[in-house]
Amino acid sequence: MGKNVLLVDDSSTMRKIIGRSLRQAGIDFENIYEASDGLEALEVLESKKVDIVLSDINMPNMDGISFLREKAARPGIKDIPVLMISTETGDDIIGEAKSLGALGSIKKPFTPDKVNEVLGPLL
Amino acid sequence: MIDQAAVGEEIVKGTKDVFSTMLMVELESEEAVLNQRLALQSNLSSMIGLGGGIRGVLAVHCPASVAKAITSTFLGMDVEELDEDVKDAIGEIANMVAGNLKVSLAENGLAIDLAIPTSVVGESFNITGVAKAQRVVVPLRMNGELFWIELMYVVN
Repeated sequence: MGKNVLLVDDSSTMRKIIGRSLRQAGIDFENIYEASDGLEALEVLESKKVDIVLSDINMPNMDGISFLREKAARPGIKDIPVLMISTETGDDIIGEAKSLGALGSIKKPFTPDKVNEVLGPLL
Repeated sequence: MIDQAAVGEEIVKGTKDVFSTMLMVELESEEAVLNQRLALQSNLSSMIGLGGGIRGVLAVHCPASVAKAITSTFLGMDVEELDEDVKDAIGEIANMVAGNLKVSLAENGLAIDLAIPTSVVGESFNITGVAKAQRVVVPLRMNGELFWIELMYVVN
């Protein structure tokens, strides 16, 4: 059975671009789920089988850091791996994301090769 | 203190990086305009608030034809009008340009925070609201058509 990914970004454009980059990088997912903020992402994780999450940080309603914190407190979903995709690159905020369980980060703008380089080893 | 000309150069560099990486398009740039309030012939502007070491706004101003061309190239589909896809796409361009500027300013010891982008459709935008603000407007061309990145800021 193939793997499923959840893309979390308040920009529908960016969700499409990330999905396209995954295909261009040769990374095939059986299902690509989408959420526009952390709250929607938690709902998807509670209702679907998701193997990995690619999440933005700056989002309305619930940002990426709060999403990681809330996810870590929910036993059923806390171990699902998360990779951040964001304009944020500062050691403080990326460090906080990693301390809350994020496996790494990809800076926007990005190429399909960069997505493959960071995401590939995690699958 | 921020060197305005240097900020203009960083905006050009960061915007060209966004377009070459995400859209596979090479932009041309013109000389930055400093501290002048220009009536830009824009039909869509995406703005992102800046806080922390500075307060102000970074905006991408596009005529309709450029906004549609950017979105069409970004999404790989035909775009007929200034709809939600276009507002979202130009907002994301503003977000990435501001993100690159944030990295550049951080390397020079100035930490800034970014808000969520907002896009508006209209005509001939003129941003006001920050007293005694510095202003940098960078004209850029995509396939020969002009659009602008504007930074208005006060150093805290």
